[in-house]
Amino acid sequence: MSQHRPSRRHSRNAVPRRTVLHGIGVTMALPWMESLAGFGSTETMAAAARAKEVAGAPKRFAVVFQGNGINPNHWWAKGSGAAMELSQTLQPLEKVKTKINVIDGLFNKFATGNGIHPGMTGNLLTGAPLKRGAIMHSGISLDQMLANHIGQDTAQSSLVLACEEPMTGYHETNFSNAYGSHISWQNADSPMPNEMYPSLAFDSLFENRGNMRNVSVLDRVKERAESLRRQIASTDRAKLDEYLSSVRDVERGVERLRVEKDKAEDRANGKPLLTMKRPDNGLPEDLRVHAQLMADIVAMAFQTDKTRVVSLILARDLSALYYPFLDVREAHHGASHNDTSEGYERIARFHLSQFAYLAQRLDEMPEGEGTVLDNCCLLYLSNMFSGSKHDNSKVPLITAGGLGGTLETGRTLHFADAGDENRKLCSLYLGIMDRMDVKLAAFGDADSRLSLF
Amino acid sequence: MLLTAIAFVGALSGVVTIGAQRAAPAIPKPAIPKPAIQGPAALGTRFDTVVAPFVKTYCLECHSGEKPEAELDLSTLTSMTAAANEPRWGLILEMLESGEMPADDAKEQPAPHTRAQAVAWFKDLRTYEVARNAGDPGVVLARRLNNAEYNYTIRDLTGVDLQPSREFPADPSNPAGFDNSGESLTMSPSLLKKYLAASRDIANHAYLNADGIRFAPHSMLADVDADKLFVHRIIDFYHQQNTSYAAYFAAAWRHKHRAALGRPRATLADTATDAKVSAKYLATLWDVLEGPRETVGPIARVQDRWRALPAPGPKGEDTAAGGREALQNYIELLRAKIEPRFRNLVAPGVNAAQQPFMIWRNVQFATHRMTFDPAQLQVGSEPRPEPIVDPEPGNNQFGPGPTPPVVNAIGDPDLVVPAGERARYEAQFARFSRVFPDMFYMQERGRHYFDRVHDRGRYLDAGFHSLMGYFRDDQPLYELVLDTAQQQALDALWLDMDVVGNVTSRMYQQYIENQTSQGGGRGRVVMPPNPNNDLVTSEPRVKAIEAAFVVAAEGGEPRTFEAIHQYFGFINDRLRLVERLRREAEPKHLDALAAFAQRAYRRPLTPAERDDLRRHYQQARHDGLDHDAAIRESLVVILMSPDFLYRLDLLTTDSDVAPLSGYALASRLSYFLWSTLPDDELLARAAAGDLRKPGVMAAQAKRMLKDPRARALAVEFGGNWLDFRRFQDIATVDRERFPAFSNELRSAMFEEPVRLLLDVMQANRPVLDLLYATDTFVNPVLAKHYGMPPPKTSTASDGEGAGDTWTRVTNAQAYGRGGLLPMAAFLTRNAPGLRTSPVKRGNWVVKNVLGEHISPPPPTVPQLPQDEAKLDLPLRQMMERHRADPQCAACHAKFDAMGLVFEGYGPVGERRQTDLANRPVDVTVTFPGGSQGAGVAGLRDYIRAHRQRQFVDNVSGKLLAFALSRSLVLTDGPLVEDMSRTLAARGYRFDSLLERIVTSRQFLNKRGSLSTGHDPKRHDPQDSRPKESRP
Repeated sequence: MSQHRPSRRHSRNAVPRRTVLHGIGVTMALPWMESLAGFGSTETMAAAARAKEVAGAPKRFAVVFQGNGINPNHWWAKGSGAAMELSQTLQPLEKVKTKINVIDGLFNKFATGNGIHPGMTGNLLTGAPLKRGAIMHSGISLDQMLANHIGQDTAQSSLVLACEEPMTGYHETNFSNAYGSHISWQNADSPMPNEMYPSLAFDSLFENRGNMRNVSVLDRVKERAESLRRQIASTDRAKLDEYLSSVRDVERGVERLRVEKDKAEDRANGKPLLTMKRPDNGLPEDLRVHAQLMADIVAMAFQTDKTRVVSLILARDLSALYYPFLDVREAHHGASHNDTSEGYERIARFHLSQFAYLAQRLDEMPEGEGTVLDNCCLLYLSNMFSGSKHDNSKVPLITAGGLGGTLETGRTLHFADAGDENRKLCSLYLGIMDRMDVKLAAFGDADSRLSLF
Repeated sequence: MLLTAIAFVGALSGVVTIGAQRAAPAIPKPAIPKPAIQGPAALGTRFDTVVAPFVKTYCLECHSGEKPEAELDLSTLTSMTAAANEPRWGLILEMLESGEMPADDAKEQPAPHTRAQAVAWFKDLRTYEVARNAGDPGVVLARRLNNAEYNYTIRDLTGVDLQPSREFPADPSNPAGFDNSGESLTMSPSLLKKYLAASRDIANHAYLNADGIRFAPHSMLADVDADKLFVHRIIDFYHQQNTSYAAYFAAAWRHKHRAALGRPRATLADTATDAKVSAKYLATLWDVLEGPRETVGPIARVQDRWRALPAPGPKGEDTAAGGREALQNYIELLRAKIEPRFRNLVAPGVNAAQQPFMIWRNVQFATHRMTFDPAQLQVGSEPRPEPIVDPEPGNNQFGPGPTPPVVNAIGDPDLVVPAGERARYEAQFARFSRVFPDMFYMQERGRHYFDRVHDRGRYLDAGFHSLMGYFRDDQPLYELVLDTAQQQALDALWLDMDVVGNVTSRMYQQYIENQTSQGGGRGRVVMPPNPNNDLVTSEPRVKAIEAAFVVAAEGGEPRTFEAIHQYFGFINDRLRLVERLRREAEPKHLDALAAFAQRAYRRPLTPAERDDLRRHYQQARHDGLDHDAAIRESLVVILMSPDFLYRLDLLTTDSDVAPLSGYALASRLSYFLWSTLPDDELLARAAAGDLRKPGVMAAQAKRMLKDPRARALAVEFGGNWLDFRRFQDIATVDRERFPAFSNELRSAMFEEPVRLLLDVMQANRPVLDLLYATDTFVNPVLAKHYGMPPPKTSTASDGEGAGDTWTRVTNAQAYGRGGLLPMAAFLTRNAPGLRTSPVKRGNWVVKNVLGEHISPPPPTVPQLPQDEAKLDLPLRQMMERHRADPQCAACHAKFDAMGLVFEGYGPVGERRQTDLANRPVDVTVTFPGGSQGAGVAGLRDYIRAHRQRQFVDNVSGKLLAFALSRSLVLTDGPLVEDMSRTLAARGYRFDSLLERIVTSRQFLNKRGSLSTGHDPKRHDPQDSRPKESRP
């Protein structure tokens, strides 16, 4: 069920970053500031608590998306474990390569045969057929399916983030461009709104937001029920008391969310939790700053268990982002039509480095015997392998993190020759969900798991 | 006195008494015994002489002192009054009667006649108490809305049928079989969480427009949700308008010949209404057709053709259809020849794909649909215009599609104008074009404007490449067809697109972003610097960007500048308008919130409640939520409030029995008949305070019964009474063996009893029709299942029930159907899959239809094999064998025969001659009491002769229990008896039941006080079961 979200009208007066042009110098605070917490707790008590808590460290999932494909000449990995050899684009993952899987050859059947772009994107995480024209239709996406099952115990059931404004016009294939701007779908008819503002994404995890907001609602109805007791027959009070005690019980459950931070500290073995300054209002002018802020928010949210499910669009399909800092003159989508160029390789590597940054951040956070990354599955993918050919007969895909020891890492897996039935993205998704204790018989177009994954 | 576990009707008819331990007589008594009621004096005397000594001798040894057994102290039983006030005397009676007390290890056991005397006294006390307290309202507990009521209520509160309780756990039923009473409806933390999630979800369906709070059928969180909602609402609105020339000319022709067609007095407006066309446009056409004769030009041709249409035939036959079609063709062909077209604009530094130019062209088309292209007139003496060589320089692959010119044949008689007559003809063409537009509205516009094949489904789209944008193009519809109210409704929808869907702002932002990000390629405009960091939608920034466009377009033709100014002017005006409307709407939303709460709580708000709502909204704003989110959260608070979730009858006075307030009564009535909240009329009566008047109450009930919402009574009351409410969920049928059992058939089976029940209720038929009716209702799939000829379906144009595939079959008994008994839903529901179950079917007849209490089978009962085809003996003989055991016979004698009569129907209610093992079925039986019969007809005869009164009592009692939202208690006896009597006296018509219930003391009053009661004994706080107490 959906939780509270900031209204979509937040974006009403959005400042398109690339409209407010040229050179407002934005001074960013360093994203990470050391917290003073972590001292003074009784060692033994903390250790005892830790032993219990660490076993129950939550499993988290994040998907990071970049549209329009990568440079196919520079996207590969060989070997396994510490000996894994990474291509130029994959270099940013060198430090965490024992904790990743590079998976080649998966595809999404319903995303093929739709013509190019939006029809290749809107069902990437849903595995459902898409509709042309004004009636949008996909399916529930992997992240939202997870959020529905495991999202109730955290401040936000999921975070749906993007570093680029959505488009909603029509592509010439007659698919809505909204398909290219939304990979997360709450149900077949409605995509999840993307949060673009780091400040609002940050706020949504704290203070009095999301599921926490329920305390305010429950307080109000509790007050009302208490005052009603005085106006009803004695015989009715038993019924109202039943309601009141249910309200109190649920409220206590919500309030438990407030102590999650303490648990997180226990899991961190006394190491300080990472904290960050609230990002400034508005959209960061520089994409590099924007992407890194989003990654920091995700890392913090995961460590402190504010959410367990994230989807992050770095660059949407038909992306209009541009990369003066990479010395590429054309905007993203235009550049992707020359995807074997060095410039486009730099673009793909830039985006992958954001993913690597997130993975590293999480890997620097101790949690129990390992790190937060060890309890995550981060998924990096694009909607096509080659942007110049608009080829999505397979998609580039990397996972990072071991999901609490349930997912073996440090592997390169090849499915390109496994036959179409045995290389479905949705089969991979079923495997991820299994490991997060969301066991489904079927998802999207798949009813079986990937062998070897 | 304590009255629990009483199957009420059973108690009255003597079939079952408290505890239901005794075997019923073979033939239940057809009528309620009317015991002579002893007065208090005689009862008092008998207490002193019989009961007091009995208690002293046989009870007090255990039931007195410091720790009385079972915490029952009988030493207080010193007088008849004390005995009557003892809350557990019903239990005492039960224990004495069954012989359980005195206990086996008691010192002394009473002689049988001594015991009988004591028992008789307690029974007489009960009779006396029932008579004295008849009509007591009984304790109706606060009850949460059950799942069905919650769904219906949310539907009526939001206007959209969201069915939020679909995934809630099923509600338990009370002993009467209904899930609408506080006795069985409980709340738990997990259920409360579901309500919370459902409330959030409902609130996410809300949207805020310029007037108030509305709800969409889907959530309204993402931008595309708003697009989807309003695009479809607008398209639906367009489609509802009749813009077919054929329909208008047919109407005009009928109006002209109205006398001959039997409607001499019909006005033009009447004719329009009958023909379902716009009265406004019909009047316009009428003026053209029947107005002053024109001599030249297109209107003259139209008039000629109109006048040439033949009159109706002698029997009113339509003789003019062909002529009208020719007239219509003439108009449409001519219109295409003179359609004005507007080429794409380009300027040196701005390409044709730019929004200002594309919007300019859209505007040209949209504002010229009621004009014509004068260049198409071929005036004798004038030179022909030169063809255009390069129509659209600078239009690239991402630009709009080309504009093909209209090419007409030289000498086309429709266009030829005599030399020197241009002005005269132009006036005629102008008038023609004003009445007959190019099109009434444009619903789809792809990027290739004139290509009607590609880009299908882009409703209302502005036609940009890859960017969003909507464009309104409906001037002819608006001006010619819509009346003022319709114009306002359409304007409001388009305004919602902006105020809620933010489309202008999004269109503009996406466009400007696209300008800057794509690196200034050919024909794109470089954005000016933004030193003040103005928002892209702010007025200064819009002006600055406009100026940049003007610079870029330098050297272009004047129209390009016109287009640029028009576009940015439009954008800025619209953005400012939307800002203002949103600002002005905020207080309206707060008012709407209060109105929503009032409807949700089904009563007016107190000033304090209004303040609370406002305070919570402000707190949410203070916590950082924006206006929309704070309103949504306030909606959640309302939906979670006990005032909404519970039906609470607030006390007006602190007395034991008090009249319900008008609003509580309105709710009681609407949840009885509709399972949902009261409508405005009912609330108005509540406010006026006259709802209690018998005439008003009965009139309201009758009115409400006619309303479509009364279907809920058939579904919720009928479905629970007859145990088919969850039929749609049944999964017992083996679909491989019964492939006909599709989901459609299952739905149809469910629908059949609903239709009959509703027909009995709404058409005020005798309730006996439920059993004896010769008719039933079928749709094609059910008719096929029943072997009936396929029903004629009503045509979709016939208003109410249009497209409904259900129809009444009057001679259903010819097909073995008619009435409830042989309905497939019950036959299937009471069969375990691969065989029939005479036991279940018979039990259903006896228990649900006739209301007899049947004890559950003992746990040791042997199971019959699951598959009829694999039985060694016919089911019938297996059951006979079972009945040979006297222990089993007692119960089975009550219902086996009632089930065996249905052996002519298989496991999914299909008629059959042989069972699944190919043995012929035998439907002859001996009913309890010895009468013989065969099949459903035999069962009907048996009921009519021996059990009809029991059925009538059962219907009365069940309906009363449903209406009161509680199990019945003994003091309801006289009312049920009266209902049954009135029913018989008034031809068993349904309305007599309804009237009697809604004017009863039970229905109009409330028992309960603020204190814990005058006699603490009467109210055990641990025991919320219904109790009887006396004033």
